[in-house]
Amino acid sequence: MPRFVVKSTMAGTVARLEVERDEMVVSEQTLLFLEVMKMEIPVESPAVGRIVTVHVDTGDLVAQGQPLVTLEN
Amino acid sequence: MADEGWEPELGELRERQRAAQAMGGQEKVALQIARGKLPVRERIARLLDEGSFREIGSIAGTGQYAADGTLQSFCPSNMLFGRGRIDGRACVVSGDDFTVRGGAADAAIHEKIVQAEQMASELRLPLVRLLDGTGGGGSVRTLETSGHTYVPAMPGWNWVVDNLATVPVVALGLGPIAGLGAARLVSSHYSLLDRTQGLMFVAGPAIVSALGQQVTKEELGAAEMHAQTGAVDDLADDEADAFAKTRRFLSYLPSSVDALADRVPSGDPPDRCEPDLDRVVPRDRRRVYKMRRILDAVLDRGSFFEIGRQWGRSAITGLARLDGWSVAVIASDPMHYGGAWTADAAQKLVRFVELAQTFHLPVVHLVDIPGFLVGVQAEQAGTIRHGARALASVYQATVPWCTVIVRKAFGVAGAAMANHTRFRYRCAWPSGDWGSLPVEGGLDAAYKSELAASPDPAERRRQIEVRLGRARSPFRTAEKFLVEEIIVPRETRPFLCEFARLAAPLLRPGRSAFGLRP
Repeated sequence: MPRFVVKSTMAGTVARLEVERDEMVVSEQTLLFLEVMKMEIPVESPAVGRIVTVHVDTGDLVAQGQPLVTLEN
Repeated sequence: MADEGWEPELGELRERQRAAQAMGGQEKVALQIARGKLPVRERIARLLDEGSFREIGSIAGTGQYAADGTLQSFCPSNMLFGRGRIDGRACVVSGDDFTVRGGAADAAIHEKIVQAEQMASELRLPLVRLLDGTGGGGSVRTLETSGHTYVPAMPGWNWVVDNLATVPVVALGLGPIAGLGAARLVSSHYSLLDRTQGLMFVAGPAIVSALGQQVTKEELGAAEMHAQTGAVDDLADDEADAFAKTRRFLSYLPSSVDALADRVPSGDPPDRCEPDLDRVVPRDRRRVYKMRRILDAVLDRGSFFEIGRQWGRSAITGLARLDGWSVAVIASDPMHYGGAWTADAAQKLVRFVELAQTFHLPVVHLVDIPGFLVGVQAEQAGTIRHGARALASVYQATVPWCTVIVRKAFGVAGAAMANHTRFRYRCAWPSGDWGSLPVEGGLDAAYKSELAASPDPAERRRQIEVRLGRARSPFRTAEKFLVEEIIVPRETRPFLCEFARLAAPLLRPGRSAFGLRP
């Protein structure tokens, strides 16, 4: 099964996680929220799949390009 | 009595043309196809309207002759060009032939590159470059064949630069593109890399490795990377997609700066209202929404053609139609840094405003700008200089300009929504929220001593926030006529379509005071 990594397109702080390992997600489902510029910005799933790994935790600072979630479908 | 006529010469002409049609030979053409790439003549045929290609320099190349002067073999030059039609409109197309020496200089006839560019300029025709290889760039092999070296100069570069201010130029990277080829790819109004075959680098992995950096060609010049840094505008899924995007891009533009874009009636009623827009912006200022859905709702249905989606993401840019009129659309994307202007978003805006100005497209700007991105990384990226450059392009633009403030407009970046000294064709939604600094970010600094002196700073902070919040209503701004109109969001499309109709007769063909720089 192909795996792909959802990477952060911006720098920010993980405000909260909306999914956990092994959960099935659909396209455009919110995986987590990043706090950026005093706003909570959803990071959405690019496809249908199962969460293999959540690479970050609430409160983590993430950089642009950093892996957030690995999906398998 | 008729003599034998010119039959021998006609036979030789046919023979030479047949040899040129064979490109780099059966083996090299088969290899090109096996790599998943179309031979250059096939590419041209698929890009242009059927049967419309008229080649120029069709028998240019290098012949080998026997002692008696008869032609023994022929190697065509590795770049061909001519005129043709795209959607019925005349254009110039040039194509690199990778099957002949990988497109390198030793099989190039540089005058053909010059002529293709000059033809587009002087005949005022859009130009499409199909690039594959080094684009006639140098190879040290040339040293041996010519017996001398040369001070570098790029053939026809005066035309390449001038064309950016004269005719629409599209460049497609359909293979590995290096050196001069890479410069020709990015020196365009719209550049694409084919995500399956396209790679781009100043110098390929062999040269980079010789300098001590061991990398694969994908690590060095992946299409995806270049689309994210903005070195190219976009990616194409394959060659067919690249040709389709080329046709679409050109459909919004005039054939040159000496003309205006055609109006193409869309059948979408200009007075169409979208009730959903009244609820699309969340009341909670911390929450965001999808700007592209607003664009789809207000522009002519299906007309939005986004450019540069993968870079400078906090600003969305693209071409579209309003009541059939071609317009250049800028919109903030709150899903990326809340819509804040980053250094790369500012660079993208400069490029896009210059495109609109060059080809006389009115600009529509849907604004949600909390300011420039702030912080250490933003400073390291030189955000303010790139931002100021974007401001300069906005202030220098003379094409009609319309702004809709969807939500935020703060600080210098917010002020750059338009040149405020021009007539302001502007409105705001009731979700409008503006000023020099957002209350959330500016409160602590502005009330520092008052908060420090308070026995309960948190409670004091809350009280101040409530107080300031009351003055924050967009209606108080409109009351002072500091914003022209606050409209019902559902009526945005009629507002914009009326702008497009009013703008159309104001457009003037001709060369702009400033052209586009890559």
